[in-house]
Amino acid sequence: MKEILLKTENLSKSFSNGGNLQHVLKNIDLELYKGDFTVIMGASGAGKSTLLYALSGMDTPTIGRITFDGKVISDLSTDGLALFRKAHCGFVFQQVYLIDTMSLLDNVLAAGLLVSKDKKALTARAEELFEKVGIPEETRRKFPTQISGGEAQRAGIVRALINAPEILFADEPTGALNSKAGLDVLDTLTGFHEQGQSVVMVTHDMRSARRGNRILYLKDGAVLGECDLGKYRPDDGERHRKLSGFLSEMGW
Amino acid sequence: MKKNLLLARANLRKAKGQTVAIVVLVLLSSLMMNLWLMLSLDYKKNFDRCHDKLNDGHVNLAAYSADEEFREFVTGILKENPDVTEVSVTDAFCAPAAFRYAGGEVSQFVVMLEKEAALSREVGKYEIIGEDSSGSGVYVPMLYGTGNNYAVGDTIELTLFGKEFEYTVCGFFNSTMTGSHNCGMLSFLLSGDKFREFSEEDCAVASTYISLRLKDKMQGEEIEASLRKEIAGKFPDITVSGNYYEDITTSRYISQMICAGITSAMAFLVLLIGLVVIASNVVNYIQENMQNLGALKAVGYTGRQLVSSLILQFSGLSAAAAAVGVALSYCIFPAVNEMMIAQTGIPYTVRFLIVPCLITVAFSAGIVAAAVRLSAGKMKKIEPITALRQGITTHNFKKNHVPLEKTRLPLQPALAMKTTLSGLKTNITICVTMLVLSLILVFSGLMYKNMIMDMQPFIDFIAGESADSCININTGREKELLSMLEGDSRVEKFYLFTNNLDAQHVGGVSLMPSAIEDGTKLNNQKLVIEGRFPEYDNEIVIAIKYAREKGLRIGDEITIKIGGKDNDYIITGFSQVTNNLGKDCILTRGGYEKAVSLQNVSYYMDLTDGTDIDAFNSEITERFGSDVNATFNILAVIEATGNVYVSLMTIIVIAILALSGVVIVFVLYLLVRTLLNVKKRDYGILKALGFTTGQLVLQTALSFMPSMTISVAVGIFISMQIVNPLTALFLHGVGIVRCTFEVPLVFNLIAGGVLLLFAFAAACLLSLQIRKITPRALLSGE
Repeated sequence: MKEILLKTENLSKSFSNGGNLQHVLKNIDLELYKGDFTVIMGASGAGKSTLLYALSGMDTPTIGRITFDGKVISDLSTDGLALFRKAHCGFVFQQVYLIDTMSLLDNVLAAGLLVSKDKKALTARAEELFEKVGIPEETRRKFPTQISGGEAQRAGIVRALINAPEILFADEPTGALNSKAGLDVLDTLTGFHEQGQSVVMVTHDMRSARRGNRILYLKDGAVLGECDLGKYRPDDGERHRKLSGFLSEMGW
Repeated sequence: MKKNLLLARANLRKAKGQTVAIVVLVLLSSLMMNLWLMLSLDYKKNFDRCHDKLNDGHVNLAAYSADEEFREFVTGILKENPDVTEVSVTDAFCAPAAFRYAGGEVSQFVVMLEKEAALSREVGKYEIIGEDSSGSGVYVPMLYGTGNNYAVGDTIELTLFGKEFEYTVCGFFNSTMTGSHNCGMLSFLLSGDKFREFSEEDCAVASTYISLRLKDKMQGEEIEASLRKEIAGKFPDITVSGNYYEDITTSRYISQMICAGITSAMAFLVLLIGLVVIASNVVNYIQENMQNLGALKAVGYTGRQLVSSLILQFSGLSAAAAAVGVALSYCIFPAVNEMMIAQTGIPYTVRFLIVPCLITVAFSAGIVAAAVRLSAGKMKKIEPITALRQGITTHNFKKNHVPLEKTRLPLQPALAMKTTLSGLKTNITICVTMLVLSLILVFSGLMYKNMIMDMQPFIDFIAGESADSCININTGREKELLSMLEGDSRVEKFYLFTNNLDAQHVGGVSLMPSAIEDGTKLNNQKLVIEGRFPEYDNEIVIAIKYAREKGLRIGDEITIKIGGKDNDYIITGFSQVTNNLGKDCILTRGGYEKAVSLQNVSYYMDLTDGTDIDAFNSEITERFGSDVNATFNILAVIEATGNVYVSLMTIIVIAILALSGVVIVFVLYLLVRTLLNVKKRDYGILKALGFTTGQLVLQTALSFMPSMTISVAVGIFISMQIVNPLTALFLHGVGIVRCTFEVPLVFNLIAGGVLLLFAFAAACLLSLQIRKITPRALLSGE
């Protein structure tokens, strides 16, 4: 029996757009499990990113409830949500969003020092994570504009993981990268997932989606279907066919 | 031009917040500039207008004699003098007088005139101002009707020659030359019946009041001195008091000069801050709009047009703000005018003055245009392609300021320090602002300490020397007085200090000598600011302003004409006092008497605590009778004069502190807005990572503090060194060359701390805009 990490009940999100109310998410009931690599897919405008922001506490639902590890987070204040994100979540963004005026190491430590005061242990963990994602020592003290997009995204992953979050949210992490760099990033995420990291990733890229063990398909703000792909194996053709079939069934 | 206007309008709409802040800074500066110009250009001219309207004398003399022989002699001299154009001679009663004013007492030489005679004088007319009860009583100078002092129907108690007279105030009059206790002599107009009544009093000394107009009003000093000399030659026993145009114009406008000086300094300091803020804004605008500017260049705009649009935008805005500032200055000028009239005692009607307005608006717009032109130079160099590719890199990535793995600072201060060290423009703006505000604080501290909390240092400047009481006695009974003072347990200290004696430097400028016996006994040891008091009869201390003008140094020999005789003295020091426009000198008694014997002498006295000074003075007057020429309750005089200055200075200090508060809030508002614009993305990222609004607000406010703290510390240190020379510069016109006011270190440190706390609190409040930045906005590209 899988342990529920995040749960939504009647999750809805609407935006006012020029006087018209736009319902982006509609009554979503969802459970996300510990240790899963959940992939949220869907066409553009399906509400994938909005769902990710709501699940991660970046945004609040218009209606409905979100619980994390049994605690309701949907009615937290803005600062309450910030504390929730700090304590439990890690984020990898499509545009990376490293702070340009800080070195890679400082970008990572700025997030880490929010949680821990042990600078020495934190620096050691950052160095270890940099090592794992393949960023050489001399690059760690460079600024984001001095490195490649792939390196920046991997640094973003290190920042996301520095506080050993219970859940890692990734929003199109390969969207802005070339093929090789994108593959490196996916390998990195897969590697961490294999070590037990819970991951929720939004993508519209099938190559990225294959890394997940659970695929949710969103259409018009609702979960249209889901597919259990099982553990990721790079050369598993059956798994690939299953995903293709599922997506085809969803109208992808 | 139309294109430029459109661009300028678009820019203004885009940056409303910055626009408001810049408008406020320019508005404040132009408000003060216009006030300063009105005070400087018109306020003093008002004296001339009043003087001409009253056909007032350029020289006025009052003599304790109404003898025909005396009058014939004087009018004879005046008729023969080709420089004298008109003369009026009027019957009067002269007396040393004292009366209550502004919570203290005025002791002054007064000229009592019959009202109708005064109003009908050809030269030196008097003009009744406001209500005239036309009853039986006294008309007093309008100065004493300002504030909460006398009103028509009140009773005024005049002490004349030690005898008290009560009169009903029938009205107030305007007189430029004798309408204030700063004039050397003061007039009171008695109704016909009261004048006749007074003439029957024992103490009434029939006197002559002479007013004369000159071809050249600036000759007043010379002619007054020569007249007094000629009178003294023929009638040595007749006491003569006098004043002249140049002296009175200055002495009646000390407050106006101080106020104008402070206002001008404040105007230029606030404008300086405004210019730095505008320059910083222009540079930020170029950086933030690099792509737009590239696009505009790509479609054919020239660099010159883009710069012109910015100049148009900022100078147009400044001109509009300056116009509003000018309009506001007219709203507050009546209040300023009230304060000024309470010191000058000359009526002034606020009227629209086009020249100061035009100067203020043109200067504000012009200097802003120049600042924009200088700071927008980069705009001309923008290449469209480079700009369209996200512009020119502005960060210096060679140095990672405050690496987090090494710093000992906690996270928030460390991140704040990173922001501080990467914001050169912000730091420059903060430094200029805080240096200026520190100077204002230190100046306020100086005024507070020396003019409000303890006004003695300021009084020393104005009065030269002060004690509790002063008695002027004929030398015939001097010994008796001294033995009485020696034996009186109420007298703590007494010393000779006889001032305003007649003399003339051979260079042609009158120096008013004071005679002393022992300089070390004077309470105001700072009267001699360089060198020492004269000890021997061939020594002299002269006014530093005069010495500087004539290039005289300590050790030089100077010839002073006293009683028609040239006498040589060696300069032992320089004195400084605003009295007599700083044209004074100090001799030993022997040094003076080697030329002319003193007929009367003044003794200053410090009395034991609790002694009733008025009662003490009355006792002496009673004992020595008519040999006592005058007694002064100096403490009461200081209180009266001081209270007027203290009120004025308190208002000025409060106004400049409030102004500083407004300036710092608006500068911080601009800086915070700019910072939030620049760092909006970073704040979004940090919020996404889990930083709370409070943490980011703290971080932002803290990022201003290092440069603020350093500039306040440096500013206070530098200001403490320069505040006295700067004050001397303001007061140069009234004879001050060097100020030695106490600069209160503790007050300045506390004020600096309060300034920093205020700035920190303001920065925190202004940074609360961070709460509007959401991580979602960042991620969805809003």
